Amino acid sequence: MLDQNTLFDALADADDAYIQSAASLLGYEKEDNMRSVPFARRRLSRAVLIAAVIAALLAVTVMASFFAFSTRVPAADETFRIHWSDAEGGYLDWKNAKLVVSFPETAESNEVEFRPGWLPFALPEKLPLSDPWQGLTDETWFRRFTAESLCWAELEDDPAVYEDISQPLEIEVYAMSQFNDGGAMLMLYQTPGEITEEHYDAQDADVLRFRGTQRFEARPEFGLPERTSEYSYVLLSNAREGWVIAVRGQLDMDTLVKVAKNLEIRPTGETATYDDFENHFLFFDGGVG
Amino acid sequence: MTDNEIIDLFFERSEQAIDELAAAHGTAVRRVALNILGDLRDAEECVNDTWLGVWNAIPPERPSPLRTYVCTIARNLAAKRYHADRAKKRESRYDLVLDELAECVGGGDSAEDQTAARELAGAIDRFLGGLEYTDRFLFMRRYWFADSLQESAEMAGMTYGAVSVRLHRIREKLRKQLIKEGLLE
Repeated sequence: MLDQNTLFDALADADDAYIQSAASLLGYEKEDNMRSVPFARRRLSRAVLIAAVIAALLAVTVMASFFAFSTRVPAADETFRIHWSDAEGGYLDWKNAKLVVSFPETAESNEVEFRPGWLPFALPEKLPLSDPWQGLTDETWFRRFTAESLCWAELEDDPAVYEDISQPLEIEVYAMSQFNDGGAMLMLYQTPGEITEEHYDAQDADVLRFRGTQRFEARPEFGLPERTSEYSYVLLSNAREGWVIAVRGQLDMDTLVKVAKNLEIRPTGETATYDDFENHFLFFDGGVG
Repeated sequence: MTDNEIIDLFFERSEQAIDELAAAHGTAVRRVALNILGDLRDAEECVNDTWLGVWNAIPPERPSPLRTYVCTIARNLAAKRYHADRAKKRESRYDLVLDELAECVGGGDSAEDQTAARELAGAIDRFLGGLEYTDRFLFMRRYWFADSLQESAEMAGMTYGAVSVRLHRIREKLRKQLIKEGLLE
């Protein structure tokens, strides 16, 4: 019987080269010491990168002042207290955020759900590890849709477009009332590029979209090249109804825009107020970045 | 002292070989054992068993690279020791690693009752060979060395969330490959 123990044991016979290349940091003090150097370099280069982008973003912020969304680049030492169950005390005090997105004060959000009218991949009828997924039907509506397992399941071979991708597409609904009284959606890791503002008539949504990038220094001590992780973000919001929908992922911007423009959105009949949420900050590049 | 010089000491049956081996690779071996067993005292006994195993194997073997060889012995001994003591509370990182690997084989039956270990190892090698470097690094750190997600994330310069999502995807790939190769239905 092939089970996890057999698999774990079989891994012991993996090619020495694979073990060796992954073991390069293991137990060597001199290599442990090396770990701090690239991280320090990364912090420095990241600061330079951020400084370069801040100037561009400040201009964007001025333009954004007439828009339902409000964006700003916070000072490096501005602290955001994020509810974080894994942290000591249950909160994480985060500094050096890259972008703050705020919304109009909303007493009560009318909650919505959505259905993708177009996706860049065919959805499988069934998922072996995700019962009770039964494919997408006319009755399938979502509050959250994540595609990392959907778009690879039951495909004979991964399409080339998904190579090196962790999260091709994620769509999630938020209530604007969650962010009252100074709350916001934050980018913690990625640096946003140029921000575009639009209005989608079909969804009656104000839209904010941009690319987020995160640069990783090379880690030659274990063979990792310098690389840049890139994500697309399309934020739809309706201030009158008080909902926000984030469409994000590593697919290109044109693809995500097409997904966003083809979303069907309907009210669930439920409402949410500020008090319904323990956390009034959310970061939208965690878990996908 | 170089690995070759340590091995020479083993061939000379000098007990200094153990001291030199421990000095060169003891931290690595201890870490593998502790990752799997989750208990310092158990890990220390496993390390001592590893030195004994190496003493019995060299000569005639002359392993290269030596560190991979001793870590493999430690990993196998630690897993064996853990299974022999299954009554203990599930608190080791090894449990988490096994739970995650179960996703690769869960919901399916093996094509044969007794899958040949060599066939499976070959399939895993082909799978690893087809992975992009970062994916292979993360997979090996998690499922060979039983590192925590946070440790792996720090080493790779990635976020915890990114590593978690990426490992999920890699497990899906492994599952598909095992099915494709007829090792899992």
